Amino acid sequence: MATNHTPTAGAALGNELRAGTVAKVGSTKRIQELNGMLHSNRPNVDITRARAYTKVYRETEGMPSMMRRYKASAEVYRSLSDNVYDYEQLVGWPTKRIRGANFAIELHAHWLADDLPNLRGRTYDPFEITDEDYKELEEDLLPYWKEKTMAVQWGHYVDPKEWDRAQFGGVSDVSNYLCANGSHFIPSWTDVIEHGFVKYYEKAKALRADLDPNDPESVDKRIFYNGIIEVLEAIRDWGERMSAACARKAAQETDPVRKQELEKMAEMMTRVPWGPATSFHDACETAWAVCFFLFVEGAGPSITWGRFDQYMYPYYKADIEKGILTPESAMELIEELYVRVTSNVWFQSTQMAYIFGGYYRYPHLDVGGLDEKGKDASNELSYLCLRAMRYAKTTSPAVSLMLHQKTPDALLYEACELAAEGMGHPSFFNCEGLYEMLEHRAGGLDGHSNYNRRDILKYGSPIGCVEPGAEGLQYGHTDSGIINVAGCIFAAVTNGRKAEGVDGTYCGQVVTYESGAPETLTTFEDFYAAVKGQVKYAIDECHANLLICEKILAEQFNLPTFTVLLDGALERAKDATAGGAKVNIGPTMQMVGFATMVDSVAAIKKVVYVDKEATLPEVADACKKNFVGYEALRAKLLAAPKYGNDDDFADEIAADLWEWFAHSTMRLKMYRGHYCDAAVQMVQSNVGYGAMTGATPNGRLAGMPISDTMSATQQADTNGPTAAARSYGKLDFPAYTNGTLLNMWISQSELMQ
Amino acid sequence: MSEKTAILFDIGRFRSADGPGIRTILFFKGCPLRCRWCSNPFGLAARPQLAVNREKCTGCGMCEKVCSHGVNTVVPGERVTVNFSACVQCGACVTLCAAKARMIAGKAYTAQQLYREAAKDAAFYRKGGGGVTISGGEVLLQHEVAAETLRLCRANYINTCIETSAFAPWEQLWAVAQHCNTVFVDLKAMDSGKHKELTGVPNEQILQNIEKLCEELPKKGGRVIVRMPLVPGYHGSEEEVAAGARFVAGLAGRPELNLLPYHDLGETKYAMIGEEYGLPGVESRNAKDPKLLALRDLCQRLAPENRVSLGGDAILLD
Repeated sequence: MATNHTPTAGAALGNELRAGTVAKVGSTKRIQELNGMLHSNRPNVDITRARAYTKVYRETEGMPSMMRRYKASAEVYRSLSDNVYDYEQLVGWPTKRIRGANFAIELHAHWLADDLPNLRGRTYDPFEITDEDYKELEEDLLPYWKEKTMAVQWGHYVDPKEWDRAQFGGVSDVSNYLCANGSHFIPSWTDVIEHGFVKYYEKAKALRADLDPNDPESVDKRIFYNGIIEVLEAIRDWGERMSAACARKAAQETDPVRKQELEKMAEMMTRVPWGPATSFHDACETAWAVCFFLFVEGAGPSITWGRFDQYMYPYYKADIEKGILTPESAMELIEELYVRVTSNVWFQSTQMAYIFGGYYRYPHLDVGGLDEKGKDASNELSYLCLRAMRYAKTTSPAVSLMLHQKTPDALLYEACELAAEGMGHPSFFNCEGLYEMLEHRAGGLDGHSNYNRRDILKYGSPIGCVEPGAEGLQYGHTDSGIINVAGCIFAAVTNGRKAEGVDGTYCGQVVTYESGAPETLTTFEDFYAAVKGQVKYAIDECHANLLICEKILAEQFNLPTFTVLLDGALERAKDATAGGAKVNIGPTMQMVGFATMVDSVAAIKKVVYVDKEATLPEVADACKKNFVGYEALRAKLLAAPKYGNDDDFADEIAADLWEWFAHSTMRLKMYRGHYCDAAVQMVQSNVGYGAMTGATPNGRLAGMPISDTMSATQQADTNGPTAAARSYGKLDFPAYTNGTLLNMWISQSELMQ
Repeated sequence: MSEKTAILFDIGRFRSADGPGIRTILFFKGCPLRCRWCSNPFGLAARPQLAVNREKCTGCGMCEKVCSHGVNTVVPGERVTVNFSACVQCGACVTLCAAKARMIAGKAYTAQQLYREAAKDAAFYRKGGGGVTISGGEVLLQHEVAAETLRLCRANYINTCIETSAFAPWEQLWAVAQHCNTVFVDLKAMDSGKHKELTGVPNEQILQNIEKLCEELPKKGGRVIVRMPLVPGYHGSEEEVAAGARFVAGLAGRPELNLLPYHDLGETKYAMIGEEYGLPGVESRNAKDPKLLALRDLCQRLAPENRVSLGGDAILLD
């Protein structure tokens, strides 16, 4: 594993801001100061949540698991800091310090107990922690949880070798799933902003009152409603505490303008998020509070704002008409949301930081798209959200444009202006593909999702990286099982082995199964069957592990705040983890290294089976020896047709493997009764998985990055972007109902003015 | 009888210069002129030839071993040296080069094949008025295949352009140009003696062709754009530029005058085929250079009825 850590270009702005070598960014002084506060803090660990969970679990030994879990969630809300900082207009923070991680000890303790000494100095994603917190973790909190995490419990269901292989083998991998319960979610924003949490509180009380104690189902339901009510009361109390904190700060404030602002914030906190939002400012506060509540309760990434420009627009329009808001002041609030959400850092295990490093927690905000009648939905806020990012220049949220035939040119150009800033914002989503994916999401090979047309048009939007979701209707972990298909290719030519001398465990051993020695694969069809056999083995292994984990989550790792924010979950009296959503999805299966696999198959087909310039055992030996002594063979393999060049020799293999992988996952039934979805979306993990993968028959050397997302292998698409686009166009994107991601890099000089 | 083919040294996709929109550029090989600033030296010789990018060479020695004509010499630890004159273009060294430092520049295509290449990017042409441009080299040396390619493209609604020196009999020029939406024709010097000095050929036939083309092409719905390269130290003087502008002002159909700033992007390509560049050390200029802007203003005064543009990517839709 590489140890020297040079900051990427993306991190450069943060470093420069911290060093004070560049001006603070933001459209107003307020945002510049808040942005400065964000960047002056390094990622740090907060143990408030860990302490609250430990306290509750110690006090509730022997109680029903759901009751303990819900009480712990409520205790977290009661323990949150009540810090109010200068310049802010929105209220509340998930942690005592900015850029803190109020991490989920009940998921992380098994590795953190051993790795705590490295946390401050590890290569990827180091975290600061105070000495007192360190000591409390080491001596009190971690010992309590070490043997209770989901990963440990999963170990009770499988043998120790499997436990190791699925986390560190680097071929069929569930490590991303183990510490990320509660993720990839668009809560019911429209509803919670309009009515506040009080609506769910009243509803839960009414439903509890209606329970018939002679109905067998009422036994569990009563536990459920009691827990939900306790959690909601804690949320109500948090708002009151924050209101008092704002009032205290106002009393001390000497600047009359700021004093008035703080007094208004104190008033606002008596209204929201508990009650209905009465203004755009109120609505932003609910949007912020709900977002960070979910980031604290859940351990995973991607609490998503979804169709922000839609559900916020009524408040914007009303305030503009009343004359109490201007576009500039609205944009300032949006920028503040961007700064605040960037403070949510993702706390990951050392193994996962190696694959997913960067602290980024994948919040997401969408603009554009269609409305429920199929008309263009864009409005002034669509433009302001894009423009705000050009000022705030934060990594989060991922701002994206939902593009369709009716998107106004002006909005598209506004998005292109943001793209030209070179920060990776915005993403562009094709609504046609998105809506088609939602129609079939989790529906299996022959089925449809539970979404109706109105759900899709009104609430559908991407989550996280690229996953299709819908506001308040869908729950499930979307990037969970990972299939390193480049590792499968190595296994296919070496009868199931993993290479010697690469990262991770199982080096030089059978990491999948023995699909046939290379000398027995005499025709291309034999070889191709071995490739598919390896990938299918990895998929099935991954699926089996995910089923076990889903059961453990549903039984012991419930998520009350997520549940409350799912449409209909209270009526169903089912926790999100146990199937409370209208549409249950995931855990999904995604592949990494697609182009490496395709190019390897194409190279072997050309060199071994068509041109007969080498034998498969020779290629296998060359891969094992990292091409040392096989330079001429490597040159021939490199010269073979490559995916991404509009060359059918490679692209037909790509199209076949593409469809086949999707079908191989969609046939699998998941724990909550729906079917698995396929995805191709891994952005940076191709580096970590590459380090765990031996040399591949496309000519790639051992340990080098494998191909990213669904894009062509790095530097292999040599015929320009239009040829690459035509290659990609040969694949059936919507078959990947959990989303696809395509990276294309175009030199600025090649873009027309 | 096998179908007639043309030799091309490259097909470039997603190009934004030399015509409107996104374009596919077909680079025909072979040229009767020897302009000293030529940025496409692969286009000069008509035959296929070996090209080697020594910058990419890793010194592995595979090319030396495979070549039976002793073209490649590798001293351990150094980059390859190539004796281009001994090469027979067999291509054996190209596939063996893991660094991908080698190519045979020059491949034969029929008009049908070229049309299919151009049609691949049809979806990308549509919005910005893009299409196919035949460049080179000199397209008119292989006018039969060029004419058929352009006819096929035009018949299938693909926008067509050529870049030509117009140094060919009128019949050959017309056979090709009549299928074009836009013809870029070069005006490299007004004085025939100077033209010969800079390009190796006189310009009388070229000037006559330009005059005639400006009369005929608009009747077929096409347009002519006259291009004047501006190479520092060679076309610098106001007097010469003014002479060109006056000539353009006198042409039928008010063709656009496009001034092309000099760039040295072709310089490194000469070494790749074992030749020397004719203008070493001359500095590139961009379209924002105040001297060039002044020359553009001068031309606009002398040719007030014509559009005068500066830079190869300043081409509007027709």
